[in-house]
Amino acid sequence: MHFAAIDWFIVVAYLILSVAAGLLGKKYIANVSHYLVAGRELGMYAGIATLAATEIGTITFMYNGELGYKYGFAAFAAALISGLVMIVVGRTGLVVQRFRSLKLMTVPEYFERKYSRGLRLLAGILVATGGILNMGVFLKIEGEFLTIVSGIDSRYLVAVMTAILLLELVYTVVGGMMAVVITDFIQYAMLSVATILVSIYAVYHAGWGNIVAKVFSTMGSAGFDPIQNPKFGITFLIWQILLWFSIHTCWQTTAMRVFSTKSPEISKRVMTWTGFIYLGRGMLPMLWGAAALTLFGLGAIRNGVPLPVVNGQTLAPIDAMPAMLASILGPGVKGIVVAGMLAATMSVNSSYLLGWSAVISQDIILPIREQMGKPALSSRSQIFVNRLANLFVGLFLMFWGLYYTPPGAVYLYLNITGTIYLAGTFICVIGGLYWKRANTSGGYLAMLLGAAGAIIPFFFLHWSENITGLCAFGLATLGLVLGSLLGRRAPTSSTGVRLESTL
Amino acid sequence: MNYWLIFWTVSLVVAGVSFAVITGIVVVKGYRDLRLMFSRLAEQRTHDHE
Repeated sequence: MHFAAIDWFIVVAYLILSVAAGLLGKKYIANVSHYLVAGRELGMYAGIATLAATEIGTITFMYNGELGYKYGFAAFAAALISGLVMIVVGRTGLVVQRFRSLKLMTVPEYFERKYSRGLRLLAGILVATGGILNMGVFLKIEGEFLTIVSGIDSRYLVAVMTAILLLELVYTVVGGMMAVVITDFIQYAMLSVATILVSIYAVYHAGWGNIVAKVFSTMGSAGFDPIQNPKFGITFLIWQILLWFSIHTCWQTTAMRVFSTKSPEISKRVMTWTGFIYLGRGMLPMLWGAAALTLFGLGAIRNGVPLPVVNGQTLAPIDAMPAMLASILGPGVKGIVVAGMLAATMSVNSSYLLGWSAVISQDIILPIREQMGKPALSSRSQIFVNRLANLFVGLFLMFWGLYYTPPGAVYLYLNITGTIYLAGTFICVIGGLYWKRANTSGGYLAMLLGAAGAIIPFFFLHWSENITGLCAFGLATLGLVLGSLLGRRAPTSSTGVRLESTL
Repeated sequence: MNYWLIFWTVSLVVAGVSFAVITGIVVVKGYRDLRLMFSRLAEQRTHDHE
């Protein structure tokens, strides 16, 4: 067991504080807008904290650590693109400013405003499916991280996963976005302290010069040059730029923060400053991965990189970083870091639970009810449906996370499952907001071709992630343009919202 | 390789420093934001009840 009594004390104290603070959120919920978008009262600094906490989880540290271990400094290109694109989105207000002006609660809701209710339903189904599959691998990987660092026997992995999920569900179901915003703030402070501490420890123990030398001796200049690295190259960089534009504008959990801000101007500022945090969100854990390669990269070569060996046991590359933390952190510091990582885990998972359950309730269940001619639900009933959807997503994650292991690098798996719906959604949103000719026929074609363009090449033709991603975005664009030019033209207002029903 | 190493070193320093500085500011001012948000929501609630 790696954990000392002081470490356990810190972790348990954090958990009690976090859940108690989350439950406080319940008393501020008067209607569904409070439950899903915090009454649109979020200020800039709290907005930055909740957006950063939502998109920085243990899963983020794990997949970025894996990239750093496998591809060295060349992997930094992905982190740089994610941060720079977010800064551009914030500075220009691309999509986010108009989204906030439209007072939406979910991304698919825009599809009904611009296109049709049917397309909202299709978008809702694709968004929920892609999002939940994407989140499906979180719990297992987070559980692995916690068991490795704390030294809990791996037989208890399922119990650790269940406990994490139950704690998140308790306050998310009860307090919705209010609870998530409060806990995100505490969790952001905790995870940031942990991130900074781990970065200092990793460089101190591995040595900057040793890290550079190990990456060079293992990968040569491909460990530094992303264009020369066979896994990356120009296609990867272009795909990443497109993907990050779509994530920062159309990813449900990110967009919910935009919808929750006080004004469109504040939403832009939140995006701009969080963009700088995104640089560290990617690069710092990648550095930890490269440090783990330096300390433990001693095993047999697989795919050009030595497998990590810790205490005579060979591990998977993704487990090298937590094994390094277990080895280099002392008592007390380890407790702070694990509490920080738990904070990261809980902030991401609670926001994702809320995000995907909001899509299920608002964009799938409610439109179907309306289509069937049933009366609109009261705000209280909508909150109840949201809570049920939350529980359903939680249960699904538990079982999917236990039985599914992603092939290849986790980062790329997450990118591809996200692309299934992001390609079509992003192209439809851009077309809907900035191109007057975009119409419902084009929207359907874009969503379907975007999803097919991600699923068929990757899962059936076994193309690389880069080419698959480009194919999905290319087909979605083609679908929107062709469908819109061939279909009936729909009159729209200057805000990109249709003026008459096109159902 | 040298140019890339210099580029990534500078990027890493910028990323690390921005992360630490923005976190410090956000933790202090974010707390004030949250208090303001909850007082406004409590006010709205009182108005709704009246």
